[in-house]
Amino acid sequence: MSSNLVITAVYLVLMFAAGLFFSKNIKNTSDYFLAARSAPWFWIMGSVWATNIGFLHGYLAHGGAAYEWGLIQANFEWFQGPFGYIMAGIFFIAFYWRAGIFTVPQFLERRYGPGISSIYSFAWLILFLVTIAAELYLGGMFLKNILGLPFWPTVFVLTAVVGTYTLMGGLGAAIMMEFVQFVIMMLGTMPLLFILLNMVGGFAGIKDVLLTQWGVSAQYFTVLPDIHHPYGPAPWIILGQCFVTTLGWCAGHQSMVQRNLGARSIYDSKLGYVAAAVPKTLGAFLYIVPMIAAPIVFSRLGIFVEKSDAAYGKLILNLLPQGMLGLFIAGLLSAGLSSISSVLNSSSTMVIKDFYERFLVKGKSDRHYFLAGRVATFGIIAASLLLVPVVLKVYLIMWLEQVLLAMVLGPFMGVLILAIFWKRANTAGSLAGFLTGGAFAVFLQQIIGIQIFFQIGFGSFAVTLAVTIVVSLLTKPPGREKVDGLTWDSDFMAKVGDVVAERAEANGTPVHVIPRPRAVRPVWYLNIKYWATAVLLVQIVLLFFFG
Amino acid sequence: MMEQNQGANPKKIVAVQMLSIGVILFILGVTVLLQSPFGRMEPFVRLCSILSTGAIITAGVLFSVGGYFRLKKARGK
Repeated sequence: MSSNLVITAVYLVLMFAAGLFFSKNIKNTSDYFLAARSAPWFWIMGSVWATNIGFLHGYLAHGGAAYEWGLIQANFEWFQGPFGYIMAGIFFIAFYWRAGIFTVPQFLERRYGPGISSIYSFAWLILFLVTIAAELYLGGMFLKNILGLPFWPTVFVLTAVVGTYTLMGGLGAAIMMEFVQFVIMMLGTMPLLFILLNMVGGFAGIKDVLLTQWGVSAQYFTVLPDIHHPYGPAPWIILGQCFVTTLGWCAGHQSMVQRNLGARSIYDSKLGYVAAAVPKTLGAFLYIVPMIAAPIVFSRLGIFVEKSDAAYGKLILNLLPQGMLGLFIAGLLSAGLSSISSVLNSSSTMVIKDFYERFLVKGKSDRHYFLAGRVATFGIIAASLLLVPVVLKVYLIMWLEQVLLAMVLGPFMGVLILAIFWKRANTAGSLAGFLTGGAFAVFLQQIIGIQIFFQIGFGSFAVTLAVTIVVSLLTKPPGREKVDGLTWDSDFMAKVGDVVAERAEANGTPVHVIPRPRAVRPVWYLNIKYWATAVLLVQIVLLFFFG
Repeated sequence: MMEQNQGANPKKIVAVQMLSIGVILFILGVTVLLQSPFGRMEPFVRLCSILSTGAIITAGVLFSVGGYFRLKKARGK
């Protein structure tokens, strides 16, 4: 048996065993869906980042795109992502906490009623099912190509491992595994960068070969492209992607938000999200910068790469020795499994909290919903497994994901911003705005033929804002129960504890389960403002050199 | 009001998570160490491999020890 296979097998067995060991501590819905609100800020940091990195978004697809497009792919890591984390952490997470919710749609329901929340929840559930199926497919293909393992048995093993620890341990097990995966990705896959830079003579060596000797365009080394770049010009990236789609992803993606709601305090939640901008920035050095150097290495070793998606796999297969390659495989598997577990856990939470508990079986005991959560997790992983043969075409997955995200993220940001910052926004206005914005996104994409995702996102966001404002002004203002404690107030922080306790009690959740926000001033190195400022300064420096 | 199960102790949950993370990282790191043919690697690759594996093992030890003491404290022993 090859050493790479031994390392992969040991890693999968360890995750399976640890998931079962942890599950003994899970006793009710709060433990299962929100990890008993126990997670400290560094758990949130690692977990949020690991959730965001998978086979689809990360090493294989993202790295492959960097191989094809160049450093522009780093705009997610060096610009939009950190900005989205910081803005969501500072401005939006506190409102979710204050509402005492389990899911993002629950917040929309409190503020706007059940209509918009059900549509939003349903769209994400479809997206989540497709995502799990796609990650399982890519994981199976990856192990088949690297280790020569048979596809379907490998997919079943991956499903069994990730399904078991998520089904048994809920969010707590998912966060725990995501932190392990965060450490393995950071420490285990970072050496590739140094090995590559050592081979090609540093970043200056890469530039020298690509720009001077090969005559590659200078745009290959630019994070923010010029107006003629086919990827999309920089102003659109800033307006559409940064302020709408990426921020909508960070503030509205149930998997990302749920990790924050599982924090032990509102401060840990906010700091965890802001601190996640650090590994996000470093992520470019794991799978973007190495892929910029990859063409030179392939040329020297005489390797032909037919598809950019396969570039990362070929690079590590030809460059790394036994043992280290095994660790890399564990790191890449980590990326895929962390995405699956987070989405799986979030899907079951949405199924139970947004549909089952609300429409199908009301007023049952907490134990009933806890067990229903486990059944839902099993059902979702089984459904995703059945979907694997359907999503064999990766381009189809990416297309479906882009359509759904364009339809959802722009309108979501429109109604969310108005929900929080404009008390006059009401149910009729938000529903009209959300549906019109979604329809406008489809119109732009399918009828006009615009394919740049963030242009569609910004267009649908603007339409949603306009329609929501007009319809809200033409209809009755929302009642106090839809506004109090859910919108921006000058004494916002002072009210947080009272509102959380009041809502928790009204929901039947014991108040002690939801800790009151810490009033003490944090030590300087845990100050959110310092973390946010430091990250933003690093972004400015990176953009100065690569912008 | 709905019937509610007594939830888990959040401090114990964090302690168990830390301990599990530490054990996974330690065993994985040691496995990688035992399976790596360091003698056949190029010097720079060997250095990177040793540093990377060593960092994972160290993280494993630190989390295990931290988790063990937190668990003892959470159980009140």
